Amino acid sequence: MATVDEKRKRILGYAAVVLFLLFLPILVPRFYIYILTVIFVTSILAMSLNLVAGHGGLFQFHHGVFYGIGAYTAALILAKTSLPPLVGFIAGPIAAAAAGLIIGLFCVRLSRLYFGMLQISLGSLVWAITFRWYDFTGGDDGIHGIPIPALLSSINRSYYFILTILVIVMILLYLILKSPFGGILQAIRDNPDRCAAVGINVRRHQLVAIVIATFFAGVAGVMFVVVEGTVFPDLMFWVLSLEIFIMCLLGGWFTFSGPILGAAIIVSLRTFAGVYTEYWTLILGIILILLIFFLPEGVMGFITEKMKGKEPEALRSTEKEVDQ
Amino acid sequence: MDAGHTITFAVIASHFLVGISRAMILFVVSSGLSFVLGVLRVPNVAHGSLYMLGAFVAHTIATYFGGGSVAFWFALIASPFVVALIGLVAERALFCHLYEREHLMLLLFTFALMLIFGDLVKIFWGADYRSLMAPDLLRGAVTIFSSPIPRYNLFLLIAGPIIAVALYLFSNNTLIGKIARAAAVDREMVGAIGINVSWVFAFAFVLGCFLAGLGGALVSPTVSVTLGMDHDIIIETFLIVTIGGLGNMWGAMVGSLIFGITQSFGVLFLPQFAIVFPYIAVVLVLMWRPRGILKSVW
Amino acid sequence: MLTVKNLEKSFDDFKAVNRANLDVAEGEIVAVIGPNGAGKTTLFNLITGMLKPNGGTIQFKGEEISSLPPHRICKKGVARSFQVANIFHRLSAFRNVQVSVLSQQNKSMTLFHPAKRIAVQETYQILENVGLLDKSHKIAGSLSHGDQRILEIAIALGNKPSLLILDEPTAGMSPEETATTIALVKNLADAQGLTILFCEHDMDVVFGVANRIMVMEHGRTITQGKPDEVKKNQEVQRAYLGEE
Repeated sequence: MATVDEKRKRILGYAAVVLFLLFLPILVPRFYIYILTVIFVTSILAMSLNLVAGHGGLFQFHHGVFYGIGAYTAALILAKTSLPPLVGFIAGPIAAAAAGLIIGLFCVRLSRLYFGMLQISLGSLVWAITFRWYDFTGGDDGIHGIPIPALLSSINRSYYFILTILVIVMILLYLILKSPFGGILQAIRDNPDRCAAVGINVRRHQLVAIVIATFFAGVAGVMFVVVEGTVFPDLMFWVLSLEIFIMCLLGGWFTFSGPILGAAIIVSLRTFAGVYTEYWTLILGIILILLIFFLPEGVMGFITEKMKGKEPEALRSTEKEVDQ
Repeated sequence: MDAGHTITFAVIASHFLVGISRAMILFVVSSGLSFVLGVLRVPNVAHGSLYMLGAFVAHTIATYFGGGSVAFWFALIASPFVVALIGLVAERALFCHLYEREHLMLLLFTFALMLIFGDLVKIFWGADYRSLMAPDLLRGAVTIFSSPIPRYNLFLLIAGPIIAVALYLFSNNTLIGKIARAAAVDREMVGAIGINVSWVFAFAFVLGCFLAGLGGALVSPTVSVTLGMDHDIIIETFLIVTIGGLGNMWGAMVGSLIFGITQSFGVLFLPQFAIVFPYIAVVLVLMWRPRGILKSVW
Repeated sequence: MLTVKNLEKSFDDFKAVNRANLDVAEGEIVAVIGPNGAGKTTLFNLITGMLKPNGGTIQFKGEEISSLPPHRICKKGVARSFQVANIFHRLSAFRNVQVSVLSQQNKSMTLFHPAKRIAVQETYQILENVGLLDKSHKIAGSLSHGDQRILEIAIALGNKPSLLILDEPTAGMSPEETATTIALVKNLADAQGLTILFCEHDMDVVFGVANRIMVMEHGRTITQGKPDEVKKNQEVQRAYLGEE
């Protein structure tokens, strides 16, 4: 268990990082601020996936769909209606959570691999409709030039806005993981049969976790619209979903902030590798193979282990997994 | 498709036949995926890339030998073997070291392969569109039910069932086929009687690669061979094996038929949303039978 | 309290449980014995809903429970331990027990309230009762085999069951651990008035603890009765005790 002192140190650490990030726009060029903003958005997405995939142990293979639904809902309301932008910002996550509920209802009935396969099927259906429904979603062109409220229209403003949202999402996810629900979700991951035997409705817990995770994926989707002012069907393509999965794995499944690290690594690698080579996916593939063979606990998991001076295989309490 | 205005029996029949012939290609590819799933219990995400590789290799071989009929037939036979060889190398060099690990790691490894193969194809062949001519014998169309059906599609209609029967006989009548099937049901048993499970897995993986390559080679005269053909097929075959029943070869056939036929009728009735129809069919099937139509092997 | 009638379960052609009958009255300690493969664990899996029977009835407090999912049966007051330590290996002993306490208090869905402040007293109480209090912050996977088996029972106790089912509670334990476990089981029955159903290979444990015994062979119930009646039964001696 973390001592009070350790906990204070950790909170101070996070506060220092946030403070640093607050002053960053004064110090560095706009391009880097833009990259950081993209990292923030991707972090929200990866953390939301990690709630169900890392802490919940579910094969949430098509998380990108909910990201896309959040983004499209916000984009459609902003671009095609005269409703106040706030409506779009709120409707995005709600639409994503509703889709999560519907798709989740089908999926939680099934065991792990079938769960993943069925989710890919249903997600692909959403993608296919989005891809083809030119009149409504703009088809494969997507929707461009989405009017972003003036308050958020400059990159610095959206940077601060999304940083705030990221911090709020982190706090909420932390509270959820520390709550009885979060604890039981992790217990279900480790031993679903035992949970059922002590009277826990495993499917209902998994479903609630999916709804929460898809809600935050929707938040990430809305943030994407704020940064880019555009949406396109690739947001819902299954390759993106697997990429988010890699971010969680890269950062460390069983850790709280690992997905942020994973998102930061992948986004910056893609950006900077993109400058030198067009073969980004080749690099991603090689990273993934190296990861599978040498760092199965992820970078963050590895660092935590090293700091504690334990063998990587050592059993750890969820207490520590969530805390570090 | 301007046929949408006059839907006659002939139009329906021709769509039906074209749909089934497309289903045959889906079957060849998805039976490979299903086989790997059945034995290794891993959905091979790289399966679509191997299919794409099969098409590119077939194109290169056929072009190298002058692009004639003989070159085509040679490419059709040689390409799957090349793909199988690539699969064997990837399996023995890397994949086989992961069998003791979590399933998710195996799955992610195949995803890594997909990413790598995708870019390797881009490096070797570039992003151009390519097309492969069918041999003279299979060019043009014949008239059936007073509507023209391309000869190549008829060829697929014949080749598909032959491959299905061959696969069936192979897995039921040869020793290695029987062992692989037994490993699919109970791998501890197979290990316990002294068979090297790792090699059984290698065999299953390579056979899966072979079938993916064969599917790619078969499809190459009917579509443009290009980057990105891996992405579409992998989702389609995933869905097919899911609705058919994981690891069940005849399930792959049933799933392919459902997929191919709904797709071709989608083109007929609502061309804009043609790709949506098979997905809807999949959702309906899964609502009716969440674990697939036929019995899954595990 | 629990009445099992003509219960049947087959896996393909193999009849694991074949017309099994069992009665457990309130406050009793009932043992199920029988050779390996007699269907004892399958019977327990059927009672707790982890398997669905092919035929027969299971009534708990007069209510048919055979079609309910495991978590609903548990909520009715049936908790169980498993033959192989079936615990949350990555969580601390405290968190292991807390899972079932939270479930019992219907607080498993509580969001935004730190878990470390909920159900703490109750959890420590249970750990104290079973003698694991000093190990409550150890990771379950790192406990000794005997302690893991005790933890297994502690998890079941978190549900405040009226019927506790134990699947070979002393399997693999040292003689001292076995003695501790027997004392614990007896104490649970006497002090807390729990009804206990268990199966066991160790005949000393069975005859030392049980009020009544049910004997199974090949999935069938051969006989049920008081320990000395069972001891005298010819068929039992042939089927089971003779093998010893």
